[in-house]
Order: sequence, then C-alpha cells, then structure tokens
Amino acid sequence: MARQTILLTLANVLIPVAILVFATGFFPYKPFMPGLAVFEEPGWEDTFDWKEQPTPQFDKLVFMVVDALRSDFVYGEESGMKFVQSQIRDGTAIPFTAHATSPTITMPRVKAMTTGSIPSFLDVILNFAESDTSSTLAAQDTWLAQLKAKDGGKLVMYGDDTWLKLFPDFFARADGTSSFFVSDFTEVDNNVTRHVPNELLNSDWNAMILHYLGLDHIGHKAGPKSPNMIPKQIEMDGMVEQIYTAIENEDHLENTLFVLCGDHGMNDGGNHGGSAPGETSPALVFMSPKIKKITEFMDRESPAKPKGEFEYYKKIEQSDIAPTLAGLMGFPIPRNNLGVFIEEFLYFWDDGIDRIQILLRNAKQIKTIVEATYPSLSFADEVKEIDCEKTLTSGEHLACKWQKVVQAMSTVATLHPQMRVDFLYSFLRDAQNTMSSTASNYDVSRLFLGTFLAFVSFGLTFLTLPKLRPISSTAIFYALTLLLYGILMFASSYVEEEHNFWYWATSGWFFYLFICESRKEWFPKFIFHPAIMLLLLHRIIRRWNQTGQKYAGAPDIVHSALFQGSNSIILWCLVGATYMDIMVRLSRHIARSISSLDDGKGKDPVDFESTDINGFIGTIAVLPLTATAFVFKLAFTARDAPELTHGINEGLLQWVGELSLVGVAQMVFSGILLVASWQVLAEWWRSKARKREQGNGDLAVALFDLLALFLVTQTKAENIPLFLLFRSQLFFLTLLDLTPTATTLTTLLLTQTSFFALGNSNAISSISLSNSYNGVSTYNLPLVALLLFASNWAGPIYFSSAGVLLLGSHGRAQRFVAKEELDARDWIAAEREHLEKLVTKESEGRERRKEGSGAWRQHLGLLTLGVSSGLVAVMGACSVLREHLFVWTVFSPKFLYAGAWGTFFHLGISGAWGMVLWGAGKL
Amino acid sequence: MNATPKVRPPAVPIEILSSDAARIYTHIHPILILSLYAYKFPSIVADPVPALLSSLIPLAILQIVFVAICLPPTGSNTVVVEKKKPGEKKKAPESPISRKIIPAFLSLLLSVLFATPLLAATLVLFGAPISTHYFHTLLCAAHISLLATLPLVYVHGVDGQTWREVVALLLPVDEVYGGMIGTVIGAWLGAVPIPLDWDREWQKWPVTIVTGAYIGFAVGKLVGGTIGKGRKIMFD
Repeated sequence: MARQTILLTLANVLIPVAILVFATGFFPYKPFMPGLAVFEEPGWEDTFDWKEQPTPQFDKLVFMVVDALRSDFVYGEESGMKFVQSQIRDGTAIPFTAHATSPTITMPRVKAMTTGSIPSFLDVILNFAESDTSSTLAAQDTWLAQLKAKDGGKLVMYGDDTWLKLFPDFFARADGTSSFFVSDFTEVDNNVTRHVPNELLNSDWNAMILHYLGLDHIGHKAGPKSPNMIPKQIEMDGMVEQIYTAIENEDHLENTLFVLCGDHGMNDGGNHGGSAPGETSPALVFMSPKIKKITEFMDRESPAKPKGEFEYYKKIEQSDIAPTLAGLMGFPIPRNNLGVFIEEFLYFWDDGIDRIQILLRNAKQIKTIVEATYPSLSFADEVKEIDCEKTLTSGEHLACKWQKVVQAMSTVATLHPQMRVDFLYSFLRDAQNTMSSTASNYDVSRLFLGTFLAFVSFGLTFLTLPKLRPISSTAIFYALTLLLYGILMFASSYVEEEHNFWYWATSGWFFYLFICESRKEWFPKFIFHPAIMLLLLHRIIRRWNQTGQKYAGAPDIVHSALFQGSNSIILWCLVGATYMDIMVRLSRHIARSISSLDDGKGKDPVDFESTDINGFIGTIAVLPLTATAFVFKLAFTARDAPELTHGINEGLLQWVGELSLVGVAQMVFSGILLVASWQVLAEWWRSKARKREQGNGDLAVALFDLLALFLVTQTKAENIPLFLLFRSQLFFLTLLDLTPTATTLTTLLLTQTSFFALGNSNAISSISLSNSYNGVSTYNLPLVALLLFASNWAGPIYFSSAGVLLLGSHGRAQRFVAKEELDARDWIAAEREHLEKLVTKESEGRERRKEGSGAWRQHLGLLTLGVSSGLVAVMGACSVLREHLFVWTVFSPKFLYAGAWGTFFHLGISGAWGMVLWGAGKL
Repeated sequence: MNATPKVRPPAVPIEILSSDAARIYTHIHPILILSLYAYKFPSIVADPVPALLSSLIPLAILQIVFVAICLPPTGSNTVVVEKKKPGEKKKAPESPISRKIIPAFLSLLLSVLFATPLLAATLVLFGAPISTHYFHTLLCAAHISLLATLPLVYVHGVDGQTWREVVALLLPVDEVYGGMIGTVIGAWLGAVPIPLDWDREWQKWPVTIVTGAYIGFAVGKLVGGTIGKGRKIMFD
C-alpha cells in the first residue's frame, strides 16, 4: 500500500523533471554577448585606405510601428495608405516585406527588430511573464542603447507599453498604452497621436518610437476584412503624412530617417503567433527625401502585385533592420545581431571603399557569433588553405565562405569593389541562415533523457495500478485512447486538430456507456437515456467554438446570429441561468450549514432537508455574491466585447460602465473566499456534532460549486452557457452507474474535450489574455499567471474536480438503509430491488471515500498514466521530428501546452487541488 | 422495469443455409460488395450525393440476393432450433422463392424507412454536420443501414426484445451480427483520417465514413462467420 503511494509520488515528481530536462535541450539558452559594441578596426589597413568611417546619412530616427501591419495593408491595391504609396512612386520611400520568424507576437518581434537577433521560443513564455527582468533588453545591445549612448542621445516613446517593459528607464519622455481591451480601436491610438505634433517640434531627441495598437485590435476582433480596417489604415496614413511633411519642412528634422513597419502580420482570422504567410509578412518602409538618391533605378510601382503570398517587393529579414540602421546612422552594430545590411542602402555611398567597410563591419560582427558557435573551426583573418570541395558541415561551410572573404580582402590584385561586396554578402547571408536555423542548437541527449524520464514516470505509474486481470473493456478503451493519442501526436495535422480526436473519442465513449447500461437494463425511453443525453450535450458543446487550424473561422454557435447584435439577449439569458443555477446550489450549502448550527450538538443533524427559513437565509446570503459576479461579467463584456451587449438595456449598460472593474472583481473573489471559509468552518463544526462516522462529503460539493463560480468569472461571456451544459452533463453522469475506472476515463475525456470546446487549441495564438487581469490593480506575476491559467483551463479544472466528486459520490443523499433489515414481506419485490440497488450505489461511493480504500490513488494513478504517456508521445514526436518543417510552428507549441498540462494542470489541479477536494469530502 | 420476464429460448447464432449456393455465395458476397464500392469510389469522391444515391440500388439488390440465397428468413430460425434434436441434421428449408423475396423486400423497406433516419440522427450525434450536407449524411446513413440492418431485419424480424439485445450487444456473434458491428465500428473509425492535412479529395464528408462502413462490413462478416462465431461479447 505504502509502496504504491511512494511509486506514484515518484512518478509525479518525475513529470516536471522530465519536462524541464527536455525543455533545456529543446530550447537551449542562447548565450548573448553583454555590453555595448564599439567601433573596432576593420582590418586590412595596408590594403585599404579606410576613412574614419563612412559618413552617416541620418542623425535622427522616427520609428513608427503599426502592430500587425501586414504587407498588403500598405502595398496592396485595396490599401488605404495612399500617401505611402505615392511616396513609393516618387522614390522617397523604399518598400520591403520584412520576414518575421515564428513566434509572431509583439515582444519577440520587438526584440528581433532592436537587437537584430532571432529570439528563442522561450521568449513566448516570457512574453506572458512580461515583468520578468531577465527578458528586458536593458542589459543587451540594441540600436536604442546605441542611439542613447551617442552624444546628446535622447529617446522618446509613445504607444505599446511592451517597449517600456523591454527598455526600462530608457526614454526621456514616454507614454505607454496597454492593449488591455481588444475592443478599443481608437483610444489606444489617440493616446499616441496626441503626443506627435509637439514632439515633432522638439529638437532634443534623436529617436522617436511610436507603436500603434489599434490595427491589431481590429484584426483580433473582426479580422483583416473588417469594415474598420480601411479607415484605420487611412488614419495611419494620415500620421505618416503628418510626420513626413514635418521632416520635409522642419530644419531640425532635415536628416531624419522615417521607418514605418509592422511587428508581425495576421492570418485570415486576424490572429497571429504562428507562421502562416500572412502572419510572417509585415510591411517595412524607409522614408526620407534623401532616399531619392538610391531609388532612381528601382521598381517604384505602387500599388503592387505580390510575388508570393503577401510577398511584395524585396523580401528581407526583420533582423536586417538593426545593422541597416547602424550603417545609416553611424553607430556600431549591436553585438548579438544576425541581420545583414540591406543592399539597396549601400548606394548612399559613392565610394566603393565605404560600402566595403560597412559590410566588413557587419561581417566581422556576425563572425564573432559564428566563432562562438563553432569554437573548433578557424575564422582567422589570414589566408589559409581550406579544403572546400568535400562535403561540409554547416560550420565548415561558413569557414570556407569566410576564407573566401579573407582572400578577396587580402589580394593585391585590383578587384572591382562589387566583387568584394558579393563575397561579403555571400558569407553574411549564409551565416544568417545557418545561425537562424535552430537545428544545430538542440541538445539531443537531453531530448532523449527527458523522453526517457517521462517513460520512467509512465512505468512507475503502471506499477501502482491494481491487478490487471480480469481486463475490463473500460480498461481496454482507456489503453486504446492513450495509444491512439500517442500515435496521433506524431502527425502535425492532428496536433493542430487535436480537438477532433477528443470529440471523437468522447462520442464513442458515451455511446459505449449507453450500450453498457443497456446490457444491464433496458431503458424504456431509450432516446432519453442518460448516456444518449450526454451524447447530445456533447454534440452541442463541440460546436460551441470552432477551433484548430484547418477550419479556422468556420461557423460555430458563438459566432452564429444566435448571440450577435440584438440577439445577445439570448446569450445573457443563458448566462443569467448559469449564475442562477450556481446561486441556487450555493444557497443550499448555506442553508445546510445554518441548519447544522441550529441543531446544535448532541443531535444528529438532518442531512439533506432544510427548513424554508434556512433556505431563504441561504438565498439572501449568496445573492449579493452571485449578483456582483454577474454584474462584473456584464461590465467587463460591455468594455471587452461590446458587440455582445447590444441587446441589453442602455441605462443598465451606462450604469455598469461606470463601475471600477478591478474593485468589482476583487469583491467577487473575496466573496468566494469568504463563503469558502464559512463552509469549511461550518462543516467542521457539523462533523464534530455528527454521531455517525462518515458524512456525505458535502464540503467537497460546496467547494466545487464555489470553484464553478470562480471559473465562470474567469470565462468569456459567450462561453459561460457552456458551464450550464457542463453541469447538465455532470447531472447525467451521476445517473449512470460508473465504475471507478470508467469515472477516471470520463474525467480524462471531458477535461480534454472541455479545454477545446472553450475555444482553445494547440496554437500559441489561441491563448486568451482577456480575463487574466481580473481584480489585479498592480502587476503581480504569480497572480496574473494563476488567473491566466484559470481562464484558459476553466473547463478542464471544472471536470477534474467533478471527476473527484463522481468518484466518491459526494453529496449524494444517504438513507443508510440497512440491507439485511429489508424483509421480503415489507415491500413488493421490485421496490425492494430498487432500494437494494440504491443502497449498493450509496455504500459504494461511501466505501470509496474511506481512508485507505485506494480509490483516490487509482484515480490519480490512471490520470498520471494518461499525462505521462501523452508526454512521452509529445516529447518523442518533438525529438524524432526535430528537423521537421513544422517543428517551430506545430510541435514546439504543443510541447509548451503539454508542459502546462503536465505541471499546472496535472500536478496543480488533478493532484493538489483534487487531494484537497477529496480530503474535504471525508469531513 | 416491471416487465414480466418472458421465457425466451437463448439466442443462437444464425447459421448460413446449408445449400451449396448459400455456402459459396456468402463468401462471394462481401467481394461483390467491395467491388461495387471500389467501382463507384471515384464518382463518390467526385460528387458524393448522386453517386451515393445511384449506388444504393445495386447495393440493395446485392443485399437482397445475399439474404435470399444465404440466410434463413425471420421465424424459420427458431423453428429449426426447436425441432433440433441430438443427432438430427439440420434441414435446409426449401421454401419457394417468394417466401424469401417478400421478407427481403420488407427488410429493405424497414431499413430505409426506420433505420436510416435513426442512423442519420446517430451520425449527427457523433458529429455529422447539422446545418449543411443533409443529403450527404442521409445517404451515408442509408448505406450503413443497408449494410448493417437489412440482413438483421431479415433474420430477426421486428421483435423488440431481440432488437434491444442487438443494441446491447447481447446476441451471440454470427455473420450477420458481425457484419453489423463491423459496419458501425468501421464507420466510426472512418472519421479518423478526416482532419489530416493530406488535402485529398476523398477526405471530404462522408466518403471516409462510408468507406469505413464497407470495409468494416466485410471484416465483421468474415470475423463473425469464422473465429467469432457463436461467441458472446463480454464487457467485464
């Protein structure tokens, strides 16, 4: 007995260890070079007569980021940015498509643009843990740091506060806006725009950064085809015109370079994070009257036609921005840069030596990183014999390319400058490609060690399970589910469409339950059989939110006409019903707790029945809590998704609009805690007064209902009716006679199903941030992380807890009928049979709740088995397919999700919280 | 719940008729069915509704021929069982053709009229599209119904208790019952390839489901007639 507990604990401890070990091998920590770069001697002084350094072309920079500015929003025929297009035709603007690597979310993209490096996938996690100081760029070399370090360097910044988090204390003047409410299309941008006219008159800054969020918000809310999109582009175009006109007319802005760019694009659904062409193709435009010098012979057609999907004009890497700015403005290239100076700008310098020097500095800077990556290879500046004919590793290939540069630089023969430029570009581009591809950076032994550890956890869990024979068909179903799931994790499309697997398996399982029950006893109205009702509810639940990649944007219930516009009153009726249901349940708990106080000690309290007056008091007690929670949801939705509140009375909306969201949310959370403490106290009191050893486990049910209220608060309004459906499923499940194994399998299937039904998927872009700041006034990382987890995993948390209640039949009314006292003469046979069955059912649950019965351990054991086998599959897939085309877009996000499932969900919810609930049920 | 327990003879597996034609044709039949499907497959992929509709007729004919040649019509089975004595050889019922064709057509009628809507509803419960593709789903149900329920109706009739046992998987396995279970499981498994990103035309609704049903029918019939014969399905 104890041995099994130890093994199970060990298996669970191994889960986070395995995830960590694997993660360190999969996302290796990239060492970065600290400190600011300084100008160094380029070398070959005897061959070249270097000037000090090429004359800088610009001394000021306006860097305007428009979030999610996809290339076609600027260059396409339907674009609203007519001014920019006219500038392209005039030759005062150079357009590019700047390839953004996955993950296409703001923070890693800002890192790429400012440092020139390719941010690792770990930045995704740090993006959500924004305040984490290790993710700031304060200590890193960026063009901001370089510009600030210049004489009289002064930076100003208006817009997305990501910049303020990344660059703390960098800006002389700044005004950050947070993208808290995605429904805000105008305020976020007006907050930036209002500073611009004044700043254009100030001459004290040498870099102004603007980051507009409105366009991204429109995308998230209504997609790239939203009617708000063109007006927003016209608004942005107006800003560009205003700034450009100032540059033309103001003397102090004479040498100002104006960069307009998107940090990433968006897909057809308006979301981003992955690597679809739309997401990775933001626009990038350099503007200045001086640019006319270099655009004379360029393609200046505008609007243009794309070459590939969203590929307009020349395609460059986003990281190329950093070295290009360095060359144009005359500062050293940031140390960790992997970008390449954009070729078009070389023609600012008429002298070939200047061009070579710019590129040589770029090459030497990248060479330092290459050297650090391949310490065994020689990248010296002297001419050597290297055998470049044999098949080469990528490092040797780069060494050869560098050697060619060295030879071209060292030769005394007269070479056309362009030849040296070509050799330099050849090295630079190959170095960029090699260093950006992470394939060379895996620590394969750790990948396999992590997978092996997960497998050990699986094996240990297997040992804790009770004897396997006779094999029940439920166990076979369980094993087949895990096996098939493991196999499917190797198919990238099934990782994207994972919800289909769980929906499919759950349908099959409910039908199996129907057959199983029918074998025991035929239910006369079989259409209304609990298992069929479960199947029906499941069918509605799976259509609630369309998720996954393949059919993203397909019609679903949430986006149907049912809830939109004035029909939103239907949604709010369902939301209200959900809150009402929770209120009725909570009021019963309160009523029971009062009645137990009334009865006092000595008497055996009536367990279930309660007097009317107690019921009334209970309702009065919980009404404020649930009403506040409902009002909070309404007020939040009115601001976050106003289109869902059109059907609501105007006056009511105005009233809730004035409420402080943070305060109301704090009231709800405190109320939940208060009721929970009261329930614990009352139940503890009651258990002392009780003569009988074992109670009904009512405390567990009370805690579950309070949890439901918390989870509903953390859920978007349009998903709240799902909890009513979940509750109905739970009701039908209690009608079925589930064995412990069947309960665990049901828990597993429904936790997964409900996760996807709430609109989640295995893509980073589907993480919903909107409810993670409820009640948080000052930024508090653990709290925000908890709320973020609760809002995205609300369904799984609900069903994980429900599974515990199902397992122990908590809260089921107990008659304590003594079976042996039943006499055949007292009742008619059928009634006797019926009662006997009830008694068995009750006592079964009661027995399972008892100490040492092992039911809980077996439940947790089977769940651990599911988690560890899933981890083995996901890690195995990531290890084996690490060279796969989709490894960064499909498999690594899946690994991050699997990690969250394994640690936060399995250990935190299934394990720790489940144990609390199970323990509470014993009281 | 309070139904008075009727004394029922224990259900026995259906035996294929003993005539030579029956013994041979029962093995040819699944091959014909699969060949028909393979022949129709390209047109089903190209345009499911008309192709599925037109292939219903040959499928119905094949199934009627199969039940008429190989299976004992409802009622005859129990008679045979009751008469059976130790050592007695089973008699091949030499009934006139009309005595077989009429029940066969009745089974067809019942399958189309009752089983098809019920199966279509079940398909929707399992995730078939509800607002589009009505005819696709209905025809898919019709194919499953002709494959799975037509022979069952033919041999078991419309006795409610027997059908409850059919649903509860309580009947002993035989070729007919195995065929039905195979069809249903095959149709369920047929949903697995739909989400894959192979971008094949045949991944569209309901081609994989129907394919799974056909293959499942052949496999189930084979297993039910050989290694599974006479076994009861055990759950625990």
